[in-house]
Amino acid sequence: MITATNLGKRVPLVDEELAILKGINLEIKSGETVAIIGASGSGKSTLLGLLAGLDTASEGYVTIDGVNLQALDEDGRAALRGRELGFVFQSFQLLPALTALENVMLPMELLGDASARERGEDYLQRVGLDDRSGHYPRQLSGGEQQRVAIARAFAGSPRILLADEPTGNLDSATGERIADLLFALNREEGTTLVLVTHDLKLAARCQRQLHMERGELEERERS
Amino acid sequence: MTLLMRMLLRDWRGGELGVLLAALVLAVTMVSGISGFAAALKGALRQESHSFLAADLAVRDSRPMPGDWVTQAEASGLKTARIMSFNSMVFAGDEGMVLASVKAVSDAYPLRGQLRLSDEPFGPLYTHTGAPPRGSVWIDPRLFSLLDIAIGDNVAVGNREFTVAASIRGEPDRSGGFLGVGPRVMMHVDDVPATGVVQPGSRVSHRRLFAGDPDAVAAFTAVLESQLNEGQRLQSIDGSQPGIGNALGRAEGFLLLAGSLAVILAGVAVALAARRYAQRHQRYVALLKSLGARSPRVRRLYAASLAFTWLVALLLGWLLALGLQYAALQAFAAQLEVAPSLFSPRPYLIGAVTALVCAVVFAWPSLGRLTMVSPLQVLRSDEPIHSAREPFDYLIGLGAVVLLMWWYSQDLKLTLAVLLGLVAVVLAGVAFALVLLRSGRSLGMQAGSVWRLALASLQRHGLGNALQLVVFAVAIMLLLLLTLLRTSLLDGWQQQLPDRAPNHFLLNIAPEEIGGVRTLLDDHGVVSERLYPMLRGRVIAVAGEALPVESEERDAPRQREANFTWSADLPEGNELVAGQWWSGSGAAEVSVEQEFAERLGMALGDRLSLQIGAAELEVTVSSLRTLDWQSFKPNFFMVFPPGLLDAYPVTYMTSFHLEPQRKEFLNTLLRSHPTITVIEVDAIMEQLRTTLTQVSAAVELVLVLVLLAGVLVLVAGVQSSSDQRLRESALLRALGAGRGHILGAVAIEFVTLGLLAGVLAVFSAEVAFWALQRFVMELDYQPSPATWLPAIIAGGALVGLLGLWSCRRVIGVPPARVLREL
Ligand SMILES: Nc1ncnc2c1ncn2[C@@H]1O[C@H](COP(=O)(O)OP(=O)(O)O)[C@@H](O)[C@H]1O
Ligand SMILES: [Mg+2]
Repeated sequence: MITATNLGKRVPLVDEELAILKGINLEIKSGETVAIIGASGSGKSTLLGLLAGLDTASEGYVTIDGVNLQALDEDGRAALRGRELGFVFQSFQLLPALTALENVMLPMELLGDASARERGEDYLQRVGLDDRSGHYPRQLSGGEQQRVAIARAFAGSPRILLADEPTGNLDSATGERIADLLFALNREEGTTLVLVTHDLKLAARCQRQLHMERGELEERERS
Repeated sequence: MTLLMRMLLRDWRGGELGVLLAALVLAVTMVSGISGFAAALKGALRQESHSFLAADLAVRDSRPMPGDWVTQAEASGLKTARIMSFNSMVFAGDEGMVLASVKAVSDAYPLRGQLRLSDEPFGPLYTHTGAPPRGSVWIDPRLFSLLDIAIGDNVAVGNREFTVAASIRGEPDRSGGFLGVGPRVMMHVDDVPATGVVQPGSRVSHRRLFAGDPDAVAAFTAVLESQLNEGQRLQSIDGSQPGIGNALGRAEGFLLLAGSLAVILAGVAVALAARRYAQRHQRYVALLKSLGARSPRVRRLYAASLAFTWLVALLLGWLLALGLQYAALQAFAAQLEVAPSLFSPRPYLIGAVTALVCAVVFAWPSLGRLTMVSPLQVLRSDEPIHSAREPFDYLIGLGAVVLLMWWYSQDLKLTLAVLLGLVAVVLAGVAFALVLLRSGRSLGMQAGSVWRLALASLQRHGLGNALQLVVFAVAIMLLLLLTLLRTSLLDGWQQQLPDRAPNHFLLNIAPEEIGGVRTLLDDHGVVSERLYPMLRGRVIAVAGEALPVESEERDAPRQREANFTWSADLPEGNELVAGQWWSGSGAAEVSVEQEFAERLGMALGDRLSLQIGAAELEVTVSSLRTLDWQSFKPNFFMVFPPGLLDAYPVTYMTSFHLEPQRKEFLNTLLRSHPTITVIEVDAIMEQLRTTLTQVSAAVELVLVLVLLAGVLVLVAGVQSSSDQRLRESALLRALGAGRGHILGAVAIEFVTLGLLAGVLAVFSAEVAFWALQRFVMELDYQPSPATWLPAIIAGGALVGLLGLWSCRRVIGVPPARVLREL
């Protein structure tokens, strides 16, 4: 379960401070799929970063399964991420010097998982890229890179998956296939999914939709 | 133009330009500064060595020389002076009478260097330039006791009476062959006719001295050479370079080398900085192109920005070089007769050209390649511009560095020796990196996770790491090489001038005086070296062939006088190069100094006819030796086995160290043994010691500067991968790696690189050092294992620390921000 209580983020500007997020309260139950929708610049990625403990909040706090992220130090948060979280980024974020397979193995290797290779191969196969496992990111198309990223996100069996506009850099057909893959794997693994998008069709596939507007969050019932 | 300005401004703020600019400034500063300083030092050394001639150029003849030379010389702006040397009796009182070696000089003497006089026989010294006043003489300190006179008394030379005005203790052009020369009397040349001792047919040596600016001297030398007749000899400093000159000459070589290494380091720093600059500009170029800019426009943009950077670097570098030269010259200001100009154009020109070559050869390939960036990269970022041409660029770079070094040092051998080291380091580095980094994989998999992370990362960046490794190794190697050379240089000087080296020689000690002299030395607590027997002899025939007394040709063999000694063992500092030392067989043998033997046409096994006094003696050359001319020890061309020369009249010589405040002892000694000759070399040695101390300081200063340059290269090398590392680490942190984990991996990675680079550097520095010692400095090579471990450890520590420092952002900044910026 993820909760955010009175969460706020401010960044300094030249002579004042800019509030990117204001008083966010949020509760996401285990196994839920939640979409965060909003215009570009509304603060979606910032919120996701705070939920993942990639950044620290200015006010309020985030808990994951009852653990207050604010109370952990950077290393504690990293360890938690390694155990509990998976990521899919808009710009893929694969390491260019690693092959597809090595990219997928990376989080498991960080955890010292001895079966990293078999699991990596397994997940690459599940995203349909087992024949490309020795290729480097620059040899793959955007859609393929994002599939590798999805395999990497699921391969560590995270309890929570955070995806920041996973289809944002892709054409609609490819984006759709990526989305199918994401939801299919999510169903199989029973992962909690937090999905940031401005694509309403994609958002509609989630159980809940939260709307972000100028740093404030509002829940809307399914229409 | 506005686009250019905006881009430059943005790059400046973004820090990309800073590194490139710093590297170029470094190149200009180091090269201009060091070469300016080296030129000044060279000038100082030339003055120093010219003072051994008392001129820049001298002509010697046994007859008076044509007066129109003086007119010609003065017309071309040269100063001239005149010297006559001859032997004559000096008389004092009723019985005082000594055969003296008279030197009559004109007012301008000496043109280079200074005389050292004192108002007491061995009183405090002061320097002087110019001839004695008419009617006065300056005399050798030992003449005071020999003639039993004091300052102010009169002496007579021929028909003329002179007042003794001072004791003469040092002349710049008194050559090293001090053995067997009569005591000095110096007078004004215009007083010579009145003495009446110089008659047609007397043995007189005339010398004409010339000095002026180097070009005029060179031109005048050419004129003179065409007018010289038989018997006239031109003397320039190259022909009379004493041992000291060698040592200082090596300092100059060292500085040139240091400057050359600075060129290499600067080149490497520029190349690294440009590479990084280009990498950071890829997206920008892709964007410009996607917005419609065509390749020529992009090329012009970057060419202009590079030209602008070069210009700014040039101005800053020149300013810094000026400061550097000023600081370095301060040390020498007191020493130089003519202070070298801080504004002589050559060093600045060299700096400008070096920076230009660096910009064109090292920076432009990376920047120029930006025009090849495809606009597609807007869509697909972080595709590195891997170019097959890159190795080719490195080769061109190496070629440029070699040409620059050559131009700069004007020394092909030195350049090739350093090149040898560079090639060794590059080849070994690439091979090393490939093998080790490849084999690391299996090793890493079993190790703990920090190690796995580090080794995986080392392997991941195989090519980049090989480059970094070579860069680190080159920097460490050059620094190590310079340190080795510096140590060898300073040690050499230290050995040459140990603190308590003998600084006085006693000659002409009769056998029956030995006991008395010993007692006197002991009573005054003066520790002397061993006594050498010494007798004067002449070589009259070699291998049955009689040598002429005077040869037609200048360097052809002719009869030569030399000092003979005997010794049971090989004298200290001598080295046998052919034949064998005697083992007490009692045969008539001799051991001859190698060059002396060559000059007289002697070979091992030749029979020689010698003349000692009126007697003749036949001996066989049984060995050849070299001498240590750098030492202030007595050296003999001809050494005989003990017993062979017992029948001939012999005197003894020895040497000892005497502090300046105990000079009075010499008066005591000469009063009781007036026939003994004292040769003082303490003043020369003191002067030499101060010079060497100052040169050492300069050498250290330059070493520190080059060290700084080396560290900057290391920084640039570490930085070259820091962008990539930063984002990788941010991603790893997002995926759950802890800070300790990442820092540990970074540390292991860089320490490993540093250690490997250290090993490579040690290896190739020894190779280059060997080549330098052997072919350039002409010294014996000795490996320096004492530096190996420290160098390797320092390499690991330094590179590791720099690596951690360059990655400090990785752990300081929340990963969200890093990921957002990318
Ligand atoms: N570190 C920062 N410094 C300044 N402004 C920031 C920073 N991070 C985010 N912002 C601003 O906060 C706003 C929200 O950003 P973001 O969360 O990326 O929006 P979204 O993902 O919804 O497009 C944007 O206006 C962005 O410019
Ligand atoms: Mg966003």
